Amino acid sequence: MNAIEVHHISKSYGKVKALEDVSFSVGKGEVFGLIGPDGAGKTSMYRILCTLLLPNMGSATVDGYDVKRQTREIRRRVGYMPGRFSLYQDLTVEENLYFFATLFGTTVEEGYNSIKAVYSQIERFKNRRAGALSGGMKQKLALCCALIHSPSVLFLDEPTTGVDPVSRKEFWDMLAMLKERGITILASTPYLDEVRRCERVAFLHQGHLQGIDTPDAILERFSDVFNPPAIEHSKAVTVGEENVIEVQHLVKSFGSFRAVDDISFSVRRGEIFGFLGANGAGKTTAMHILTGLSQPTQGTGTVVGYDICTEHEQIKKNIGYMSQKFSLYEDLTVAENIRLFAGIYGMNDQTIARKTDELLSRLNFAEHKNDLVSSLPLGWKQKLAFSVSIFHEPGVVFLDEPTGGVDPATRRQFWELIYDAAARGITVFVTTHYMDEAEYCDRISIMVDGKIRALGTPDELKQNYHQPDINHVFTYLARQASRSSD
Amino acid sequence: MKQFSSFVIKEAKHIVRDRRTMLILFVMPVVLMLIFGFAISNDVRNVRAVVVTSQMDHVTQQVIDRLSHSEYFVITATVGTSKEAEQLIRRQKADMAVVFSKDFAAKRKGIQLIVDASDPNMAQQWNTYAMQTILNPQSSLIETKMLYNPRMKSAYNFVPAIMGMLLMLICAMMTSVSIVREKEKGTMEVLLVSPVRPIMMIVAKAVPYLVLAFAILVSILLMARFVLGVPLAGSILWIFVVSAIYILLALSLGLLISNIASSQLMALLLSAMVLLMPIVMLSGMLFPIESMPMVLQWISAVIPPRYYIEAMRKLMIMGVGIGEVMREVAILSGMTIFLLIVSLAKFKTRLE
Amino acid sequence: MIKYLIQKEFLQIRRNAFLPRLIIIFPIIIMCVMPWVMNQEVRNIRVSVVDHDHTSLSARLVHSIEQSNYFRFRGMQPSYELARKEIEKSRTDIILVIAKGYGKVAEMKAKGNAIPSEEDRGKILIAANAVNGVKGGIGASYLSQIVVASANPDAAALQSAVSTFYLYNKHLNYKLFMIPALLAIVMMLMCSFLPALNIVSEKETGTIEQINVTPVSKWSFILAKLIPYWLMGLLVVTICLLLAWAIYGITCQGPIALVYLLTMVLALFFSSLGLLVSNYSETLQQAILVIWFFMVCLLLLSGLFTPTRSMPHWAYLTTYINPMHYFIDAIRTVFVRGGNFAAIAHQVYALCAFAILMSFWAVVSYKKNS
Repeated sequence: MNAIEVHHISKSYGKVKALEDVSFSVGKGEVFGLIGPDGAGKTSMYRILCTLLLPNMGSATVDGYDVKRQTREIRRRVGYMPGRFSLYQDLTVEENLYFFATLFGTTVEEGYNSIKAVYSQIERFKNRRAGALSGGMKQKLALCCALIHSPSVLFLDEPTTGVDPVSRKEFWDMLAMLKERGITILASTPYLDEVRRCERVAFLHQGHLQGIDTPDAILERFSDVFNPPAIEHSKAVTVGEENVIEVQHLVKSFGSFRAVDDISFSVRRGEIFGFLGANGAGKTTAMHILTGLSQPTQGTGTVVGYDICTEHEQIKKNIGYMSQKFSLYEDLTVAENIRLFAGIYGMNDQTIARKTDELLSRLNFAEHKNDLVSSLPLGWKQKLAFSVSIFHEPGVVFLDEPTGGVDPATRRQFWELIYDAAARGITVFVTTHYMDEAEYCDRISIMVDGKIRALGTPDELKQNYHQPDINHVFTYLARQASRSSD
Repeated sequence: MKQFSSFVIKEAKHIVRDRRTMLILFVMPVVLMLIFGFAISNDVRNVRAVVVTSQMDHVTQQVIDRLSHSEYFVITATVGTSKEAEQLIRRQKADMAVVFSKDFAAKRKGIQLIVDASDPNMAQQWNTYAMQTILNPQSSLIETKMLYNPRMKSAYNFVPAIMGMLLMLICAMMTSVSIVREKEKGTMEVLLVSPVRPIMMIVAKAVPYLVLAFAILVSILLMARFVLGVPLAGSILWIFVVSAIYILLALSLGLLISNIASSQLMALLLSAMVLLMPIVMLSGMLFPIESMPMVLQWISAVIPPRYYIEAMRKLMIMGVGIGEVMREVAILSGMTIFLLIVSLAKFKTRLE
Repeated sequence: MIKYLIQKEFLQIRRNAFLPRLIIIFPIIIMCVMPWVMNQEVRNIRVSVVDHDHTSLSARLVHSIEQSNYFRFRGMQPSYELARKEIEKSRTDIILVIAKGYGKVAEMKAKGNAIPSEEDRGKILIAANAVNGVKGGIGASYLSQIVVASANPDAAALQSAVSTFYLYNKHLNYKLFMIPALLAIVMMLMCSFLPALNIVSEKETGTIEQINVTPVSKWSFILAKLIPYWLMGLLVVTICLLLAWAIYGITCQGPIALVYLLTMVLALFFSSLGLLVSNYSETLQQAILVIWFFMVCLLLLSGLFTPTRSMPHWAYLTTYINPMHYFIDAIRTVFVRGGNFAAIAHQVYALCAFAILMSFWAVVSYKKNS
């Protein structure tokens, strides 16, 4: 008997068809990947299998029980981590873990082995409230909460979005351990290295099942989505000599905790600067100081020639910013969002109208001019948010994990926009957890525990640390640090 | 059982950690009790009167003295014409004018009271009090007895009303918001998929609010008794039993709201619009129901706090036995059972 | 650039499923229902009579109570104890006990004869349920007026020696008193809750961070948040004024411009209060509870429901720092008493001072850089 059987499932919300005639089966103890771009219907599939939604048509069984009628039996046997798994912000790390452990009828002691690898990284924050953790650390805690019990079937809906490569690797090692114990795992992910760790994957696109096969076969068959040709960065763009960003001995502490611990670096005009680091290393905090959102505790610095301590309002006039959380207004249309932000930077109506048309035709997006942003797919929202953030031609643009949760093809299109911007002389300061993106940067820095551990071009770093690619460099440095911090 | 207790503890932590909300929840009843108990009253006091007379003779002076010696009136000015008096009233320098006619001393007749009637209730009262003071009639014929509340303190009337309002607000609003918050943040999905039975989840959510509501109830009662001096004439046991029914009713209303609302904002607005407004307006808390038009009286008949406030006024202040409030208790219990069944049946164990 | 921010707020309000309906429904509910509800007139008081006298005089008294359209006669009860039971069952509010010998004593009094020393035998007892002190008090005093008038025609004549002229509100219409106060409630709800909720929800979705890294100044950001709600408030006030005229025939006695001036200053105060609270709150629930708390206190102590002069001295002192009190005083002077600017000048100045202080604090407490 298979752990999961799906027969001709269809689901629609009003006129929107989320799933259409999808069938597959997953054997006991298999690690099965469910992949596809945003809006493919993955979340609907998870919810149907977890008995949270009723399908319009078709049938499915989980562990031999019918999802429509035997709801209680299934709920007793499955574990589920939704895409937007959220913790109780006002409970501490430890309290969250204990609560979810008891909720699933187990204890932290019993389940500790299965979460040890990830939990040991956040254990030193166990008395901190979950709300005070950084985005990636929250995700790690959520992983621990979801894995604390050993269900017979585990559903993981993009569990590693926003998590650094080292922790992702550890997480998948944990999944492999669970598989050893005979637990069936159904997971989805936008990361290719994770897709490769599944035994079989199903590729969903706009509600239709495109194919089920081994990861390599699927990645091969749909290489236009998963493995787009690498983009050429025309090195013809000359990087200027002057420094656009320059900081010395920057420190930001919250109480006794030093989130940013004495960092110094500079970025030159026209450069694409990758700002890498593990979750909770202090990237977002550093970026908040550079963009004038918060004051440094110590240290000095300038951005586009203005002092970060005293002239933050001047800085704000000359930079663009795209935040991790969503920065466009969902209840405004595309054109209205552009108009708002352009207006804020003091453009007049005529210029706005002209440039809006130019932008939208360049993006091939003219027909969606009057669509609400909330109706757009994630990849498009990201591209728009970026275009809006450089609409006023700033000297520098800051991008905080701009491409979280989308497939490789969409990310590639995003990076084409970044190269365009750099070609026009806009300096790009970007944080990311995708190591292939790190390779696209002119120079990168790797931050660990509030300090910058490495700084240079991708090739320099690879040579210095004798590693084949940035992924290995990162893993090498981040591993080293977590050992020293214990 | 262990799941249940850890659920309750988690819920209690949510409440306790939100310091500001906790503070408001406990300061609110205290401040409301103080305001209603001491600050607000409809007593006729410090009424500013202007005397209008062309000549000040002995008889006129006698009447004026009688007014100014009474505890109700303060004579602020003496002017020549009623036009001037009216100017003073318009500028809010006086509330009423006592106009003596030219030949008042001779005829002992011809006093006109000009009263600022923008507040008609008070205007009538001022008028009555002024008449009585001026005419000074000795009517030993009548003896008036104010039952239950001899000093006519407004606190007697308001304490049960404050209880009705706050218990409803805390139980219904807070539970609905706490359930909707889990929906909004996505934790509800995990809870639903977990092996925990939905009914246990709901009960565990309700328990901390139940305790909170009782804590607030006790603090209100203690304040009423020892600070405001409102007697607790009836049986404490029954006060708690009826309150428990009412709290249960409020909790199930909260559950019902959480089923309808999809966001915290909506839950808050719904509880404010559907609960708070009608309670304050139509439950007889501030405004007497019998003065309302028929349509509104019908609407007020389905508003639960009306019966609770009524029952509490009788039990606490009038000190009647439980037998006399059977009607209210029966209606409240009926509503509770109805709402509980509806809200439990409506509780969704799946997403939309 | 503030133009673009204001446009954005309007677009968001229009797209919101709830707000446009609120603007229409809110004034209608406020104007059609509230004046009927907020009515502290004491009416329909139920009276039970215990007659131990059984003379024609006592029958006349009972008859005059039955005739009065102020009371509702609930019938005779055989004894005071049974009548008390009626009160406990909430079937009646006031008991009138006519003692034996009432007719005789009253007759002697009316003839001007010396009253016998054992006069208390013929007394009348009025026992009112005073749990609601106002209702009990007013009911008892009205009932005693009827008793006096029925027992002693001379007293009635004496009462006519004093005539009363009710100024500004000849028909003692309670609605006229309440409608200007309702404008205060409308402005308070519209201008404090809505902008506060708006800002807290921008905080929660994270869009405020995006605005904070743009060169938008504090003032223009906050003004852009407030102006749409002021305009909405103005619109709602206008609808309310029109409805008051259409439904109740009540219009403003003084210059209408003053009504708008007052509501605008009040709107400034309350929207600043809302902003201030939202700057210090993390969650919606907190913001709502805190605003609600302040509103209830300001409202109760403002003289909207009960006269401030009846308050004890210490409570009266708080009205000096209660902007709502100045507003209520001023708007009633303009709306009901027909006062001009001179009549409300000091209230306007005080209100302005509070509003400016509050808005200043609100802007200062908003941090673009922490």
